[in-house]
Amino acid sequence: MARYVGDETTGFQSPAQDYIEGVVDLPQVLDLRRPGRYPVRVKGQELRERGLWDGDILVVDAAADPKPGKVCVAMVCGDVILAELRRKDGEWTLRPAKGDSIPVAGDVEVWAVVEALVRRNP
Amino acid sequence: MFGLIDGNSFYCSCERAFDPKLRGKPVVVLSNNDGCVIARSQEAKDLGLKMGDPWHLVRERPEYKTVEWRSSNYALYGDMSRRMFEVLCERVPQVEPYSIDEMFLDLARLPGDLVARCVALRADVRRIAKIPTCVGVGPTKTIAKLANRVAKADRDGNGVCDLSTAANRSAVFPTLDIGDVWGLGRPSVAKLNNVGAYTVADFAGLPADQVRKLLTVTGQRTHAELNGIACLPFSLMPPTRQTLAHTRSFGEMVTSWDEMREAVAQYALRASEKLRRHSLMARAMQVFMHTNQFNNDPKYANSAAFEVEPTDNSFAIVTAATTAARRLWRDGYRYQKAGVILLELHRPEELPIALFPSRDPEKSARIMAAMDAANQRYGRDAVRPGNVRANSRWNMRRARLSPSYTTRLDQALVAETDLKKEDLQLASSSEQQASGQSAD
Repeated sequence: MARYVGDETTGFQSPAQDYIEGVVDLPQVLDLRRPGRYPVRVKGQELRERGLWDGDILVVDAAADPKPGKVCVAMVCGDVILAELRRKDGEWTLRPAKGDSIPVAGDVEVWAVVEALVRRNP
Repeated sequence: MFGLIDGNSFYCSCERAFDPKLRGKPVVVLSNNDGCVIARSQEAKDLGLKMGDPWHLVRERPEYKTVEWRSSNYALYGDMSRRMFEVLCERVPQVEPYSIDEMFLDLARLPGDLVARCVALRADVRRIAKIPTCVGVGPTKTIAKLANRVAKADRDGNGVCDLSTAANRSAVFPTLDIGDVWGLGRPSVAKLNNVGAYTVADFAGLPADQVRKLLTVTGQRTHAELNGIACLPFSLMPPTRQTLAHTRSFGEMVTSWDEMREAVAQYALRASEKLRRHSLMARAMQVFMHTNQFNNDPKYANSAAFEVEPTDNSFAIVTAATTAARRLWRDGYRYQKAGVILLELHRPEELPIALFPSRDPEKSARIMAAMDAANQRYGRDAVRPGNVRANSRWNMRRARLSPSYTTRLDQALVAETDLKKEDLQLASSSEQQASGQSAD
């Protein structure tokens, strides 16, 4: 198929030819090319109330500063989980959807902060 | 001033970045076809595993029972290398990617305390690109590389070694073996040992004339670099490749022409894809095959080199390779290895315009671009020349290949919304653990 983006026509000249902008660049919108951005897939329904569904693709940023209230990807004793960041008495803690808060220390690492969400067939 | 930053056990660190179960455990990454150990975590080194150890021979040893092994996942390592490079580019005026896990830094115009800046760089690469590193600093590339070795050897240090001052160098050089110097091979080391030079200080103290006589010009350059005279400039452009090869040893010996044809076709296809990634055209090719040279099998080895019409077209390269292989093939042997090497590589604009091209270069380029795009989207070999078989066993054996976490959406890191109970207990008990940051 010939390449036609709304500019070069065979009969009447396209009035749009100087105004062509191309398709929305989602990698750019989601900043996917930045070195700290990683795709992460959600597994489980426990964070539905936060708007994160099973199977969603999150765009997370390892370079972003952690902020209380943000959802983050954390590595907790060998598991990869999603939890909300909290700050208590100057210390970071993780608040998972269920269960007690987890202090960020020892084998608990905040890996990246959730910055965007991609969902198909919502 | 130069810096050299290098990823600690780079491949293992890439695997660990996404798999927290690998942390603190001995991890090795194996070469193509899961053959030999090509990367070891510190824990694996401590167990005595060596680079090049054939994994299938050593894995049963009781001391290696706890070792986690992975097939090499170059799609992942390449992308993590890019991330490391980009983190550095955002913080340092010039970065030279020297290898997949080592980058030279131009630290000349950086204000402030150099060591503090390098410590911060390490922390940023660790946090953002997920790779633990060490940094060496020196007035020349050779010294920076040596400093990096020192930083790596000092496990309790801050991961940075600064040899920017003559005072630091004269303190450290007498403690370093000349074998640690970048660019000095074993023959050079032996020659230097013969004249009584064993440490880097001994070598740096030799008169330049004597070094030139002993080791020729390259050795003299290394000598000057160690004395703080920069001979190796910062280079931002990788040298244009001269040749591009795809060669493999077979997992099982090949005894039929059909198998050999499949293998050679597959290798030629891979080589042609690589050629296009580098935007190059080949003007000549070489195809070879041989039997095992070391066992008692009857021996046969042959190769053919020939010119081709300048091309990056997979169809042309696969056909030329299999045609040449047919002429090399002799029945009755057990073949161990074959390969396709593309030679005389040029950028398309360097090539003279062909007067009577046998194919339309623009059409060929469009077909190849479409094929590459389809394979990028739907997976390797989704579209391929008809004489290459899909998923043939000539693809690498990669029994424990980790997901391509960062380059394939269907293989992205999975994060759970629920934490199992037993993990919670572990988490709260780890509170008491001291959280120290080590160099690895």
